[in-house]
Amino acid sequence: MAELQLQHLDKIYDNNVQAVYDFNLDVKDGELIVLVGPSGCGKSTTLRMVAGLEDISKGKLLLDGRDITQAPAKDRDMAMVFQNYALYGHMTIYENMAFSLTLRKENPNVIHKKVMAAAEILDLTAQLNKKPAQLSGGQRQRVAMGRAIVRNPKVFLFDEPLSNLDAKLRSSTRREIVCMSMGHVQQVGTPLELYDTPNNLFVASFIGLPPMNLFDVVFENGKLRGKGFEAELSEEQKDMLRSYDRKTIVLGVRPEDISQGEGILAKVSVNENLGMNTLVQGYMGDNCRVTAKLRGWASYRSGDQVSLRFGKMHFFDKETTNAIRKEAR
Amino acid sequence: MSDAIATRIDRMRYTKNTASSRLALLAIVFDILFFISIYKSDVGTYYYTITIGASIIYNLVFLLAAFLCSEGVKNYRIGYSWALIVLGIVQIARIFILPMNAHGAIVNNMPVMGDGQFVRVVIYLAVSAVCLFASALVNMKKSRTLAKYTASLQA
Repeated sequence: MAELQLQHLDKIYDNNVQAVYDFNLDVKDGELIVLVGPSGCGKSTTLRMVAGLEDISKGKLLLDGRDITQAPAKDRDMAMVFQNYALYGHMTIYENMAFSLTLRKENPNVIHKKVMAAAEILDLTAQLNKKPAQLSGGQRQRVAMGRAIVRNPKVFLFDEPLSNLDAKLRSSTRREIVCMSMGHVQQVGTPLELYDTPNNLFVASFIGLPPMNLFDVVFENGKLRGKGFEAELSEEQKDMLRSYDRKTIVLGVRPEDISQGEGILAKVSVNENLGMNTLVQGYMGDNCRVTAKLRGWASYRSGDQVSLRFGKMHFFDKETTNAIRKEAR
Repeated sequence: MSDAIATRIDRMRYTKNTASSRLALLAIVFDILFFISIYKSDVGTYYYTITIGASIIYNLVFLLAAFLCSEGVKNYRIGYSWALIVLGIVQIARIFILPMNAHGAIVNNMPVMGDGQFVRVVIYLAVSAVCLFASALVNMKKSRTLAKYTASLQA
């Protein structure tokens, strides 16, 4: 059993650059937490602070209730998989995976069993006698993960490893996402929560591909008026936006929430068939760009007119960039 | 076969035969000790100049051959065991060439090799030979066990 708590973590470098601001997170036993965010947002720095490779400037780090903020990396019982794999080129895959246990002077037979078990999970058994240079990038990534697995640590820290992660390893884990930007935590939740109810404009635009359409609109007379289009609102939505009357807000609509139907006219610029869906890019009015992911196979040509209807809409405060939500009563 | 033995044999598929390799390297170390000690007996006669010249050349050959064998046995290649045995026999034979001839010989009223030096160089060559034989035997045993195990896996 292992429970990790990050309490008000800050990272301030010697040159006074702050990389992480007030990071709070509770990770329960068996839970998989994913940090997402653009380059330089502080994901790796946070991981390195947890691993003990970077000093924590402020805040506390607790593992099973024990304060390990100042504990050296070797005493934290954590394994980190680095983005660049950090494998020893002159050792075989087997030796790489066994290395940490060999240093601990564990019984060679125990090491062997652990390495073979990890290799089986990661589908590396046939590669054990090879050197890292003979493996593909994905295989090297798995070796780095195997090296962490054999140690059986309390916490695994993976720096960008998920692209080639074996499905067997993923199946028994719960996943939560921490979305970060500029060193700040923007939202913590399940992938669906972040997709469905983004807390702010950053999360809305970062999660989802193609990204959410964002339009500046004015709420007026119970309708939303944008450049080149108007959108009808339900009574519930009107009620929610009551305090924004005649103010500019940001309307967000995911491309997959736009369908063909009576409503808003758009002029097609690009038609991209994706198999089950068609990605249509166009303009509403003169320069209000919109992207729609329409069901089925469509064959629009550049310049064609298409009638669109907005499904689920998200609203954001233009000034704070926070989501506008129905207040709890 | 117990679980521990089975695991040890299976482990050989992925680990080097470091025991044999280190024994072969130890043989080189003792040969070097012999090599360093023997040149004190150079007294400038034609016979010893020729013998020591040949000894220098053989030592270079031995260093290379023993090193290659140490790398070969690391990978459980049984052929290198025979090479190591040949090198071991030559090391024993060398005791009867230079040290035995030099020990007790008098040139210009001076002993060519004293008792102390003689005992030392004989021990160096003998230990070097023992290391070579041990390396070869360990490798033979391990490589045969591994070959048998690999064959059973493929069957």
